[in-house]
Amino acid sequence: MSKTVTPWLDNLLQEIEGVEIRRKDSRRVRIDIAADSLPTLLELLRGRAGYVHLSAITCVDWIDESQFELVYQLWSYESQSLVSAHIRIAREPGVYVSVFDLYQPAAFFERDIHEMFGVYFEGSPDMSKFILTEWNGPPPMRKEFDAEAWVNETFEWKEYQPDWLKEITEQGGGIVKTPEEARQKKP
Amino acid sequence: MKEIDIPIETSAAKRRTNPLARVFDELVRFCRSRSMFMLHYCTGCGAIELPPAMTSRFDMERLGIQPMVTPRQADILLITGYVSIKTLKRVILTYEQMGSPKYVIGICSCTVNGGMYWQSYATAKQLDQYLPVDLYIAGCMPRPEAVLEGMRKLMDRIRSGEADGWEDYYRRYDWYLGNQQHLFGDDWQTPADVIGEASHYDLAGPGTEGEHTRLLQQCQKPLEPQQTFFQIGGSLEKKGESHE
Repeated sequence: MSKTVTPWLDNLLQEIEGVEIRRKDSRRVRIDIAADSLPTLLELLRGRAGYVHLSAITCVDWIDESQFELVYQLWSYESQSLVSAHIRIAREPGVYVSVFDLYQPAAFFERDIHEMFGVYFEGSPDMSKFILTEWNGPPPMRKEFDAEAWVNETFEWKEYQPDWLKEITEQGGGIVKTPEEARQKKP
Repeated sequence: MKEIDIPIETSAAKRRTNPLARVFDELVRFCRSRSMFMLHYCTGCGAIELPPAMTSRFDMERLGIQPMVTPRQADILLITGYVSIKTLKRVILTYEQMGSPKYVIGICSCTVNGGMYWQSYATAKQLDQYLPVDLYIAGCMPRPEAVLEGMRKLMDRIRSGEADGWEDYYRRYDWYLGNQQHLFGDDWQTPADVIGEASHYDLAGPGTEGEHTRLLQQCQKPLEPQQTFFQIGGSLEKKGESHE
């Protein structure tokens, strides 16, 4: 079993236009590709290069560029190598096609991304709630969602130095180091 | 369904005539503190400190504390670590299933004030807003020695009668329910009839009912009998659909 990405993968990738290939490692390849060409690329990788395992689909929110980056991690058992295919889609309306017909595990990843980022995948079998079944707010992993502000609005905080703690402090217990002291930088 | 009248004797109706009642109370409290069944709801990482506390090294059982498998047989509900909002619903359901007297212990910093998940949208911050916590064991995570120290403290409090969180839940149910509704929405309901239980234990106070319990009664849907489906040779049969 070869431990390097085989040269025929390079030949294969030359069949698609608009592809930027960066070899990160002997067993890792990063491919940046236009969003329209991704299904073609995946079909080639799966059908002709043995990349049968879709490990994950990852989403990155680039809010300043108003884009979502989707990363498809593909693993080949034959050449023991990982290909990560990166695409960028527009943040609004945030719609992309599903790759469920190529890789069935994609259904779960797409459902998760839909829940966390609000990206809609056309043709995915189920876009209903996955883990956050009891969450009614905006998709929480989007950069514009301010979790800290939401928490401060929803919850109350316990008093940090209540009266009963002073009694314990007098007995020699209590807080050894306050957060203010811990945050002070050493000179 | 046929209604059956079962006479319920409340403690208000019973007059305490036995001159030894207080002695018995003391004895009962002593026995309670010496045999505690613990339901550990392992929500977070703090659960990892419990196996050494329970097994031969620190041996919790010599204090009369044992793990128990079901909430209905347990005395202590041990919340070990952060509670996500989803988990909190299940924790409340579990707590309301336990028979009184029942005690709640919050282990780890997360149950006190959110801990390291303080800015997370998914975790509840203060456990004692939703359940009456009798004792916190702070630390991230507390060592088994600290867990045992906390258990000893709880035993002392049970013996002296200070550990009355479960009574507080009945007395101030409206406040607890209000916090729960704030997090879960107005249609939040549990199968337990807490107000009925409160009047049964003669613990119903001015804080038991209020605006939040009225909201609960407005939104309450009657519980439906559980339906079980199973398949035999191609035809779908239904079991247990009604008790008439």
